[in-house]
Amino acid sequence: MRLDLSLAARSVLRQRRRSLFGLFAVAFGVAALMIAAGFFEFNYDSMREGVIRSRLGHIQAVKRGYLESGASDPFKYIIPETSEDRLLLQSAPYVTVVAPRLSFNGLISKGESTIAFLGEGVDPVPEAKASSFVPIVEGRNLAGPDVSEVILGRGLAENLGAKVGDKVVLLATSARGAVNAVEVTVSGMFISSSKAYDDFALRLPLGTAQALLRTEGVHSWLMVLEHTDRTEYVLKKTEPKIKSSEIDLVPWYEAPMADFYNKTVELFSSQVGILRVLVAIIIVLSISNTLMNNVRERTGEIGTCMALGDTRRTVLRRFIVEGAVVGFFGGIAGIVLGLVLGGVVSYYGIPMPPPPGMTIGYTARIFITPRIVFDAMLLAVVTAFLAGIFPAWKASRMVITDAIRHGR
Amino acid sequence: MTIVVLEHITKEYRLGEHMVRALDDVTLSIESGVFLAIAGPSGSGKSTLLNIIGCIDTASSGRISVAGHDVSGQTPDQLASLRARTIGFVFQTFNLLPVLTAAENVEYPLLQMQELDKEDRKERVQEMLELVQLGKFAKHRPNQLSGGQRQRVAIARALVTRPELVLADEPTANLDHKTGEGILALMRDINRKLKTTFIFSTHDKKVIDSADRLVGIEDGTIRLLGVRKEGQWAITNLSRKGPAQPAKKSQSEEESNA
Repeated sequence: MRLDLSLAARSVLRQRRRSLFGLFAVAFGVAALMIAAGFFEFNYDSMREGVIRSRLGHIQAVKRGYLESGASDPFKYIIPETSEDRLLLQSAPYVTVVAPRLSFNGLISKGESTIAFLGEGVDPVPEAKASSFVPIVEGRNLAGPDVSEVILGRGLAENLGAKVGDKVVLLATSARGAVNAVEVTVSGMFISSSKAYDDFALRLPLGTAQALLRTEGVHSWLMVLEHTDRTEYVLKKTEPKIKSSEIDLVPWYEAPMADFYNKTVELFSSQVGILRVLVAIIIVLSISNTLMNNVRERTGEIGTCMALGDTRRTVLRRFIVEGAVVGFFGGIAGIVLGLVLGGVVSYYGIPMPPPPGMTIGYTARIFITPRIVFDAMLLAVVTAFLAGIFPAWKASRMVITDAIRHGR
Repeated sequence: MTIVVLEHITKEYRLGEHMVRALDDVTLSIESGVFLAIAGPSGSGKSTLLNIIGCIDTASSGRISVAGHDVSGQTPDQLASLRARTIGFVFQTFNLLPVLTAAENVEYPLLQMQELDKEDRKERVQEMLELVQLGKFAKHRPNQLSGGQRQRVAIARALVTRPELVLADEPTANLDHKTGEGILALMRDINRKLKTTFIFSTHDKKVIDSADRLVGIEDGTIRLLGVRKEGQWAITNLSRKGPAQPAKKSQSEEESNA
């Protein structure tokens, strides 16, 4: 095997220009694949973080069944605003914040116009940390847990014709079934990663929301972690320790709202799959071309080696190893190229238009994970290996006497 | 003792539309330890004969035995193994592997012999390079060597497996006269010292004169056989009387001990 590698390396070096061409084709393909996968990875990442850090949190603690049927009977799924369990969650490792939320819907009126809304009572201090992806675009955030203020999604504010400083009236059905109303001042407007949400959403201080609904409790405690990767670990650590038998911990990826993210990843992943096939074709074509030329050029040598007693299998192996060597070094070069290009592109950023369902554009970067590097390398080596099979087989089937005479 | 036995060997191959008969019912046996020249004009079939003896080509019909092995009907792998262990090759165009050094070229056939470790191989390679007087050129690549030196490396490579038989196809054709004589003298020397059988093809009269056995071939049949004793050739002419008769119709009776 060492001899095979040494012979292959020397043969590759012998035809510098041809080998370089093959090498570049592999490197280019690998780099292109890395950039594309890195671009998608960045988008997945932003999208995932956008959903988590605006609406889902990493893990939600809710009463069992709330996420499935809470909308039809919200008061059935009230949990206490604070309890032993919430303190336990707060003290778990990697937890940045635990923020309570009370969700409800109702009608918002300003002057003549009245429209429906989706409301969330939030504790402004922890919520500011939990909703880091919900920027206030006008005015300011809620001042405290009991003030008579509200922040509106920008779409909702536009539909209502409300501006910062306006007074609006919120109408909602209370826990006892009566209709209740509260007058609040619009302190600011926010946007999130979803336009559909911004068109209906408003947030008000938890105390004010509880007063409106005449309840003491909340619907969920949102756990936000230092890093999304820790979700499963934290879930595993905390789940068995929860005392209340009614409370479920739901990670972000199982929440019904993550469906959009999961489907998008699936869709884009299949696009990366197509790209991978294209790159594989580039690699197969260039390496088999390089090897076919090498086989043709070294016909005399192949004949000589076989006359000296090399079996067909030995000849086959030699050329396959040669292809794999080109693939391996091409892959390495491609990874370096991909990392450098990815760095340059990320430094400048790619200005992107607003994606469907969003109101603002963003700057895309290339986010290359170890997994992407590993996949690209694997693709290069495996396809180079496969590309070598046919030329190597041709070499091994040569008629010795014809091969020796070749080129004389 | 005979090392090569050919019985009624015929070799035909297709050239475009025509079937060409390169060898026509050749029967020959070769003694061990001889220094034998196969002579004939180009196209006479001498290379084909050499290739068949070397087991790199197969006969269309007939029986061949090399170094005690009946090679008719053996698989390519079996033949490869036989070549690796019992036959050495020297080519007209040297055919060294350009990416390997002289020493590595000589070592190459030994790599298939599992029973030899690195030390054994190194020792044998050095011994062979000394034998062909190239001890100082072990690290040179073929393109850094002259034609004569390359052919010496090729001879070392052919001998390193300690084969019973070395086949050389026009070994001096690509060398100038003086260098060619040196190569022949070297081969003759090895033939005497190691008792290795040498069979080489040539169409050069001077080369024939260094041999001790001669097989003359023309149009695919053996025309004359020669044995040299005390510097004098004893020639047996096997040619048919009457030159008008086509060669391929000749009923061969060319058996003899060359």
